[in-house]
Amino acid sequence: MATVTASAPRALPAVLKNRVIAKLALLALAAAILVPLANARWASGSWPDALTVDLTQPLTSASDWIIDNRDSHPLFLYFFGHISNGVVLSVRAVYLALLTIGWAGVTALGAFLAWRVAGVRLALGTAAAFLACGLLGMWVPTMQTLALMVVAVLASVVVGALLGLAAGLSDRMDRALRPVLDTMQVLPAFAYLLPVVLVFGIGVPAAVLATVVYAAPPMARLTALGLRGADKGVLEAVESLGATSRQRLLTARIPLARKELLLGLNQTIMMALSMAVIASVIGAGGLGDRVYQALASVDVGAALAAGIPIVLLAVVLDRVTAAAGSGTGDRPRAGWPYALAAAAAVAVAGRLLGRTEWPDAWNVNIAEPVNRAVDWMTAHLYSGVPVIGGTADWAGHFTTWVLDPLRDGLQWLPWWSVLLIVAALAWLIGTWRTALTAVLAMAAIGVLGVWEPSLDTLSQVLAAVAVTLVLGFATGIAAARSERFERALRPVLDVFQTMPQFVYLIPVVALFGVGRAPAVAAAVVYALPAVVRITAQGLRQVDPAALESARSLGATSGQQLRQVQLPLARRSLLLAVNQGVVLVLAVVIIGGLVGGGALGYDVVFGLAQGDLATGLVAGAAIVCLGLMLDRVTQPTERRTKKGA
Amino acid sequence: MRTRTSVMAAVALLAVTTGCGAADMTKQASPFANARGAKTVTLSVQSWVGAQANVAVAQYLLEHELGYRVDTVQIDEVPAWDALSQGRVDALLEDWGHPEEEQRYVKDKKTIVNGGDLGVTGHIGWFVPTYFAKQHPDVTDWKNLNKYADQFRTPESGGKGQLMDGSPSYVTNDKALVTNLDLNYQVVFAGSEAAQITQIKQFAKAKKPFLTYWYTPQWLFKKVPMTEVKLPEYKEGCDADPAKVACAYPHTPLQKYLNADFAKDGGAAARFLKKFNWTTEDQNEVSLMIAEQKLSPEEAAKKWVDSHESTWKQWLS
Amino acid sequence: MSTPVFSVDGLWKVFGPKADRVPADPELTALPAAELRTRTGCTAAVRDVSFGVRKGEVFVVMGLSGSGKSTLVRCLTRLIEPTAGTIAIDGEDVRAMDKARLRELRRHRAAMVFQHFGLLPHRTVLDNVAYGLEIQGVGRAERREKAAEVVAKVGLTGLEQRRPGQLSGGQQQRVGLARALAVDPEVLLFDEPFSALDPLIRREMQEEVVRLHRDEGRTMVFITHDLNEALKLGDRIALMRDGRIVQLGTPEEIVGSPADDYVREFVRDVPREQVMTVRTAMRPASAEEAGAGPAVAPAATVSEAIEAVARNGGPVRVVDAGRCLGVVDSEGLLGVVAGTAPRKEVA
Repeated sequence: MATVTASAPRALPAVLKNRVIAKLALLALAAAILVPLANARWASGSWPDALTVDLTQPLTSASDWIIDNRDSHPLFLYFFGHISNGVVLSVRAVYLALLTIGWAGVTALGAFLAWRVAGVRLALGTAAAFLACGLLGMWVPTMQTLALMVVAVLASVVVGALLGLAAGLSDRMDRALRPVLDTMQVLPAFAYLLPVVLVFGIGVPAAVLATVVYAAPPMARLTALGLRGADKGVLEAVESLGATSRQRLLTARIPLARKELLLGLNQTIMMALSMAVIASVIGAGGLGDRVYQALASVDVGAALAAGIPIVLLAVVLDRVTAAAGSGTGDRPRAGWPYALAAAAAVAVAGRLLGRTEWPDAWNVNIAEPVNRAVDWMTAHLYSGVPVIGGTADWAGHFTTWVLDPLRDGLQWLPWWSVLLIVAALAWLIGTWRTALTAVLAMAAIGVLGVWEPSLDTLSQVLAAVAVTLVLGFATGIAAARSERFERALRPVLDVFQTMPQFVYLIPVVALFGVGRAPAVAAAVVYALPAVVRITAQGLRQVDPAALESARSLGATSGQQLRQVQLPLARRSLLLAVNQGVVLVLAVVIIGGLVGGGALGYDVVFGLAQGDLATGLVAGAAIVCLGLMLDRVTQPTERRTKKGA
Repeated sequence: MRTRTSVMAAVALLAVTTGCGAADMTKQASPFANARGAKTVTLSVQSWVGAQANVAVAQYLLEHELGYRVDTVQIDEVPAWDALSQGRVDALLEDWGHPEEEQRYVKDKKTIVNGGDLGVTGHIGWFVPTYFAKQHPDVTDWKNLNKYADQFRTPESGGKGQLMDGSPSYVTNDKALVTNLDLNYQVVFAGSEAAQITQIKQFAKAKKPFLTYWYTPQWLFKKVPMTEVKLPEYKEGCDADPAKVACAYPHTPLQKYLNADFAKDGGAAARFLKKFNWTTEDQNEVSLMIAEQKLSPEEAAKKWVDSHESTWKQWLS
Repeated sequence: MSTPVFSVDGLWKVFGPKADRVPADPELTALPAAELRTRTGCTAAVRDVSFGVRKGEVFVVMGLSGSGKSTLVRCLTRLIEPTAGTIAIDGEDVRAMDKARLRELRRHRAAMVFQHFGLLPHRTVLDNVAYGLEIQGVGRAERREKAAEVVAKVGLTGLEQRRPGQLSGGQQQRVGLARALAVDPEVLLFDEPFSALDPLIRREMQEEVVRLHRDEGRTMVFITHDLNEALKLGDRIALMRDGRIVQLGTPEEIVGSPADDYVREFVRDVPREQVMTVRTAMRPASAEEAGAGPAVAPAATVSEAIEAVARNGGPVRVVDAGRCLGVVDSEGLLGVVAGTAPRKEVA
């Protein structure tokens, strides 16, 4: 037993090595032929100009055409116009309904809903969260965000469930949809903003549609997964009783997929919240807009006042929908009428008392004290702290000693060698197919003419991933080895995993000022929880028998970790890398808002200047970069994304 | 059979939703506007403090003197034109000159009308701190800038001197200027005005030299005195081709713009906004309260309104 | 003898690409399984199987895993589509049925009990039992009433509102059985229903099936890999190996006269005295023996006869409806137990 487990991990790398050598040899051969050819024709370090396609002209004229024809062309009048109208009307209806119910009614309704679905504790938490939103003076923005969310989530669920149903029932649809949905899951939220702005202009319709596009894929994936994963034995039994295919779907497949459907709902809500906040950049209004405004003037206190409701909303929504998914649905239904009646009573009482609007007198102004604290921090921690230096000094050193050399190094590399490295990495970890996708994506970036800024973004991603992995693996290993540490860590990870990407920008600006370093810091903080969790899980799931046999042979705990746990958890670690890269990219891009520069800045610039050509090209480059990074690190198996 | 029914249903649905009339999405207000019967005015705010000061005072007076409810939306200038044209925003109080948009929306489509002067004249330029200009008087001529490039170097600008720009949304020709005037400088975008101000203050605290894109009127001059670097003189039309600009920025009387429908039907609010007109000093006073004393825009507006009754009374008449 | 309930003739089920050509090609049908796979990429799960299930009998299909028995029973109601051959239920061609007719068959004529129960986890016991009726469109009140009746019949009274997850394996299988019974089918199909249960529960459930069969006389097709279960329940047993039926007969025939070495090896350890009847050990009676003395029925097992002989101290008569067929003595009985008795055809 012991010899078997001990030799298994050692045998694996040997086999791998042979394959690795073969692949590398093949690649080297291809390079030996192609590189001199390429170099002879287009000798240049950066991407050769001859191979770029300038899309500025066509994109600008397309954008101009759309603006000129938006109020006259039938396509807009009879199609997009109605979509836009529908969105505006429904958001407005929900918003007015929320305002009519009043703050007391909304709080009561939320609390009773949470009570029926998830129990007393979450009900109290929900009520407290709503009240906190009011106290912070954010009641109206919260309701605006909520109204937008309700419409976006409903639309996402309908679209996602329909797509999922199609993919769950038809193999052909599944084959067609799966790669698309998989890819959409790894793309940064920012990339979705520009195309909708191009068509709908800045405003709520564009924000809602971007949110739907971003939030529907998890619903579709999980619906399909649930339908496909249904217990075959049950389905056979149902068929043996002579059920029609419709009866089979309604009485067996959908109820059996309940857990996945609710998990899908949970993920859709979380992603919709994340996007609804980011979409403030394209005029979504609400809480995100307050954060955006505050960030623009580095008003950390105001950003925090708007950020806290977002976090509260996220935690409450996540917990309540997660509880709905894990519950067996056994609770008696009798409570529902009472709960609704009680909520209605509170709403009516609030109306009769004329208290539908949140009383301003109750507001607590946290912006000032926070800003004072930040000022103190800026004055005392920011720079010139003896010996260790200040946070700004760290940021400066990180920029000078890590980010700059990395960026310059990447930009110094000849373009073909970047492609070769990408190909080699992707092929070693994945298949020739993933390698091809990765190389094509990288080449597309060059063709789009944004090679340099993309490498700049890439350098930030690489630096952030490196930091994330070092911290994440260390924490993950510690968590896997100590029960107590893990128990203490779990709630922290839970909260961090549910927060929208935008929120992470606030504290880093306070600490590190503006520039690339804070963007990297935000990305690290955002990606860390997922990496820690996957690492700890992977290490814990290592076959206990293998560990036991290693212990029985007298291995020290360090030996156990190095020789048994880490090799056996290889797949999980790869997955952690993949997730880390995807999450880091998402935030590095948003870092454009805090001076991260490069592609993220181009998108912000495109939006700010109405220069959609620049923005769209940058957006396409982000898509390509995301695709490339995902494929390069793609392990054979993938799990659902953050928020799961 | 079932497929035929569903196809028919889909066609019917399409007919109902799209066929029964056109929907002009450029005439849609924000879903959050005019909630619960209140008369609402939506103002666009730009990211710089001066613009916040305009909006804060206008908002205060609209709410407290005229009984409106005011929504503010953070939109940068160029998208604000689009939003203004679509009626998602009613007014833009401080525009620094966008000839292309003006041509399209005011002259061609007639969806936006000019709301008159704001009363403030804006000017964009390149600035160095006065303490540095005193030591090196010749730095104020662009021809000598290359001589000082070394002193303006930072980690972000690499081997060249740093020319600091602010928000991506600002009107700027700096990249073209650097190229066309053959300067050994790198344009570095701070990402936002706030970031730029933070940087400037840090430089000033350490008495370090810096070169920055900046503009007047701006309250920061009171905190960090700065001297303008003379660029080749501005002549009418010398900035017509953005790629070939090699001259200074113009002095622009800042303009207000209103949505055409709002200007016509906006009643008291529209009349008020058209008359809104104050001086550079007024704007700076409010800006300084917001940015330096960290008052909320509403408190700053209240303070100003309380002490300048004669000024704003004229706007309401 | 009446028409068989199920009659199966020349049935084939081949999995793999272009499966149709295999049964049609005599060259391919002759190949052993491994060679067939390498030649065509196909696996023949059921090969040229023919049998009839008589009304009211318990017909057991027995074989080790991979012998094709589960595939065979699924072919009967076309849960798996057969590749070739004919299947008829009460003379009606099952393979020619259209979708509606096939649903009719599954809803009313043949209900199945599964190894892993196949219960709907989100429904109560009662709703699971009523599920078949719900599918048929029976009204809520009526189907619940009927379901409650069946639940009582299988001994689950009091557990109606539980969910499957809250029941033991044996209880779950009772629900599965009740669900099949609730639709009052002509034939019950069992697919290794008790393999997943503990030995004690398994015996209990076997007795439940015996009791049901005794009470209702319903035709049953029972799949199992457990020889003792087959011998205990089966009126007739079809023994399968590699997709073919190697022997079809009563338990006594299978144990008493195995068709080949495979079957012989299979039944070697069976306690013969409990399966074989006295007919096997019988010798003609002499005149004085035929007249008087203790008697056993011809269907009595050898072990029962041993007990009678031991008590009597001498030969015992085998009497059928008052007629003496012969006698058994200790010598003949010992011969059966030892497996040395001369084999003869049983009437």
